[in-house]
Amino acid sequence: MLTRFEHYAVTEMMGDADRPPRRNGTLCFSHEWERTAFGTALALAKNGDFEWETFRQRLIEAIGTWERDHDLQDPTWNYYDRFVEALENAVIEAGLATADEIQAALRTEVATQ
Amino acid sequence: MTERFHYPTDREKLSAARAKALEKLLIEKGVITEMTVDKVLGFFETRMGPFNGAKLVARAWVDPAFKARLAKDTPAAIAELDFPDGMAGAEGEHMRAAINEPGVHNLIICTLCSCYPWPVLGLPPYWYKDPSFRSRAAREPRKVLAEFGLDLPSTTEIKVWDSSAQIRWFVVPERPAGTDHLTEEQLAALVTPEAMMGVAVANAA
Repeated sequence: MLTRFEHYAVTEMMGDADRPPRRNGTLCFSHEWERTAFGTALALAKNGDFEWETFRQRLIEAIGTWERDHDLQDPTWNYYDRFVEALENAVIEAGLATADEIQAALRTEVATQ
Repeated sequence: MTERFHYPTDREKLSAARAKALEKLLIEKGVITEMTVDKVLGFFETRMGPFNGAKLVARAWVDPAFKARLAKDTPAAIAELDFPDGMAGAEGEHMRAAINEPGVHNLIICTLCSCYPWPVLGLPPYWYKDPSFRSRAAREPRKVLAEFGLDLPSTTEIKVWDSSAQIRWFVVPERPAGTDHLTEEQLAALVTPEAMMGVAVANAA
């Protein structure tokens, strides 16, 4: 049976610390930027720019760090905040962009908002 | 005099900026295109295959006698509707409907591709065949459903049905409140494959 990489990748996360939020059975994005982050990560992994498992490790680490430093009931928790952190780290690690380039892009984005 | 750059103090605005900036940077570098994200996420949003099951559920919602027949003899009830051949199952296969009611929620699991009710629900999602999903759903269904974003009251009984190649279960979700005015066709549009697998409920649009 043909399987999409994207489906495999998301299924791998089921039951684990890095599983994405779902609402009523499907993936749940509260904002457009969350979709952007998720889609970007899947696309890069599918393309071979980094290993999905490697990215997942970064994400699990980011989640673990947050949980260590925060109360688990802290309402400021957002899975996708951690996701973006992990994605930036994975992109740098994979040599797709440097930390400086990412910072510069962020400044441009903020300035033009 | 130097200007100090201020990042958004709003955490959410900052994450949004980071995500957008990263996407733009990767597009600029030719790593992805502007279409990439939509294309990737489109794979999760598209329903694959014919979704005849929605019509079955809508009929059950408007016709309580049909719902009763669907529960009692599913293939015969399915045959009442004008579906393509093979909907009620070829020889040796037997569809069974598990009816959700107030206080009772059904969840379907199976081990094989061949036990998924394809004619009713279209192609199965990849995760459905994941062994970890199956074993966890059998062992701790309430927790698995919560991971699917479905939090059921502790007073709701959860029944887990294990499909086989011979008996293929699907769920008839409860009709959502506030839908009395809808036509059967409009009701069918509220039914999702996820609701018929038991990892979601049907909601009024």
